[in-house]
Amino acid sequence: MTAAISLKGVVKRFGKFAAVDHLDLEIPHGTTFGLLGPNGAGKTTTIRMIMNITKPDSGEIRVLGEKMNDKLQERIGYLPEERGLYRKMKVVDQLLFFAAIKGVDKDTAMKRLSPWIDSMDLRPWLLKKTEELSKGMQQKVQFLGTLVHDPEVLILDEPFAGLDPINVILVKDFLAEFKRQGKTVIFSTHVLEQAERMCGSIALLFRGKKILDGTLKDIKHAYLGRVPLPPPVEPEPELEKIFIKAVQESGLEAPSAEELK
Amino acid sequence: MNAKLLAIIKREYLQQVRTKAFWIATFLIPGLGLALIFIQVALTRTLVAKGRIGVVDLSGRLYEPLVAEYKARPTDDEAEKPKKADEAKAAKVDEKSVTEKMSESRNTKITTKLDLFKVDATPDTLPTVRKKLNEDVQKERIKAYIVLTPKTLETGAAEWRAQSVKAEVVMREQIANYLSRAATKERLKDKGVDPAVYEAARVRVDLEAHEAKEIESGESGKNVGMNLAISATFFFLIYISIFIYGAYIMRGVLEEKNNRIVEVIVSSVRPTTLMLGKILGIGLVGLTQYAVWAGLALAIALPSVAAVAGMSEGLPHIPAATIGAFVLFFLLGYFLYASLYAALSAPFNTEQEAQQFVIIPGMMLMLTTTTWFFAFNQPNGTLATVLSFFPFTAPLMMFMRVSVQTPPLWQIGLSVAILLVTIWAVAWFAGRVYRVGILMYGKKPTLPEIFRWAFQTD
Repeated sequence: MTAAISLKGVVKRFGKFAAVDHLDLEIPHGTTFGLLGPNGAGKTTTIRMIMNITKPDSGEIRVLGEKMNDKLQERIGYLPEERGLYRKMKVVDQLLFFAAIKGVDKDTAMKRLSPWIDSMDLRPWLLKKTEELSKGMQQKVQFLGTLVHDPEVLILDEPFAGLDPINVILVKDFLAEFKRQGKTVIFSTHVLEQAERMCGSIALLFRGKKILDGTLKDIKHAYLGRVPLPPPVEPEPELEKIFIKAVQESGLEAPSAEELK
Repeated sequence: MNAKLLAIIKREYLQQVRTKAFWIATFLIPGLGLALIFIQVALTRTLVAKGRIGVVDLSGRLYEPLVAEYKARPTDDEAEKPKKADEAKAAKVDEKSVTEKMSESRNTKITTKLDLFKVDATPDTLPTVRKKLNEDVQKERIKAYIVLTPKTLETGAAEWRAQSVKAEVVMREQIANYLSRAATKERLKDKGVDPAVYEAARVRVDLEAHEAKEIESGESGKNVGMNLAISATFFFLIYISIFIYGAYIMRGVLEEKNNRIVEVIVSSVRPTTLMLGKILGIGLVGLTQYAVWAGLALAIALPSVAAVAGMSEGLPHIPAATIGAFVLFFLLGYFLYASLYAALSAPFNTEQEAQQFVIIPGMMLMLTTTTWFFAFNQPNGTLATVLSFFPFTAPLMMFMRVSVQTPPLWQIGLSVAILLVTIWAVAWFAGRVYRVGILMYGKKPTLPEIFRWAFQTD
């Protein structure tokens, strides 16, 4: 099986500075892949080259077995780190515009978006101008714009940066759903902990070079005994359980499931 | 056409056309234009020459004739009368003296109300008299005073003293006119000629312009004013449009950049497609605006409407060639400047930063307005010809030349060809710069850097 995305010897320089330095990557189909590294490691540059927004100085990039082209862009969903919306545009027009530039017609787009619009409580906002929406609502619109063409591969650059907590959960749920559907998800983050919980495979970049990559399991196994383990966690009672117990002991009726929600 | 490009064009177009600002501007611009014309007309009707004028006549021969000339001036009522009288004896009087009378009656638009009074003085007392008169002028007891000497009769030299040498030009001209006539008549008397002969013999020659063609084209000098007005109107329409829509493009590019939406879009379409879509979309906005204006003009020109509005003649006839040239050169000019504006906006973060560079093509455009009248006077002269081949002034200059006096066909062709090649080159440059610029945030790039972007690999 060909890799969803493969990079061979990719170099990208800005002046004398090598943002990406001879990078090789193999991202298999159906994995959730984390592109990790501190700020300035070359994550965004790598992603932009994969998306054909900038071109590598040398090396080769193949996406879904082909060199990136206009048709291929329609099979990939991309959420850049710097993302925004047209402020004066109505939400529904905005979503349909995102669909149109991915080659999706109005009817198909609306059919596809409808369930998501309901689950995200966006319907009352559809005819409002974007600038009237809260930041959290705008983030939902941006995310829907990434999905409107039902992409096979989803590339998210720092998807959780600046997201409000509710939307973090929302995006995580979407990513889990994507994984279940066997789609490939690539996201970059500088928060390693996030990747640890969500990714099957990772690559660690530092100063434009790849430090290591592979499945999380293999990497952890390889480093077993070479890095100190975290101290064992003392089991302690959860706050919710404590709350229920405290209510009971005060002689009141135990809280209902509705109240605890 | 490419569906994605169409989506971009549609978005740009609807975003602009749906705004109230667009419709306000669409109706406000012709409204303001008409208002300006009305104000202009109203102002020329209210040219005023009023006030007390002291006359120091050292020659002793000019004061009375001057007052006589002033009193004999055709007034609003009188201006009509001689004309009618001329008509009555039309058989005897030749046409040209009618023309003369008409041109004189034109002067009566100036409301003249002078109070000329004689100031006694001799060359000896003149300094004292002057002192007194200067004070009167400064304290605004009188508007001005004039000093006439024997020399006035010999060479025409005389003196005008007022608070400012720049103000009251109209009044000065009026009085100079009366004085010229008065002095001429006095000089005739010296030569033993009856001054009445002067009035009878004076002739004002009117050179009526016609085109040197076997067949009368109907284009005569009488249309010159109208031609000038039509040519100028369209000329400035192109000029203003390029600035307005150029600014739309600049704002659009910067908006997408500052909204950070541009990266989402260029992950779906090529940057050049985005740029082209933007230019085409806003170009269509411009054409819509023109269509609305043309519709309004037609509505006014409809005979029934015109009758209601009390306009018996309707709108002036505009030659088809002028309209054709207008559309052609508007489009060429628009594409040239729109690409430049896109290229010069993309590298920057704010309108202020972009303005510093956008002003460069703006200046070239302004060059055409400063040279416009010279070129109009000599549409086939060197200046007009050169500027109609220089790509950044060609859209306006070649249009103007075509609308005034059709230049040789090869010149029009060459101008269009130069424009097309330049547009191609600028669009290529713009596309390259745009592609790099829209993803550059932070530090303001320098001009050499921007040029480097155009020639670097992707």
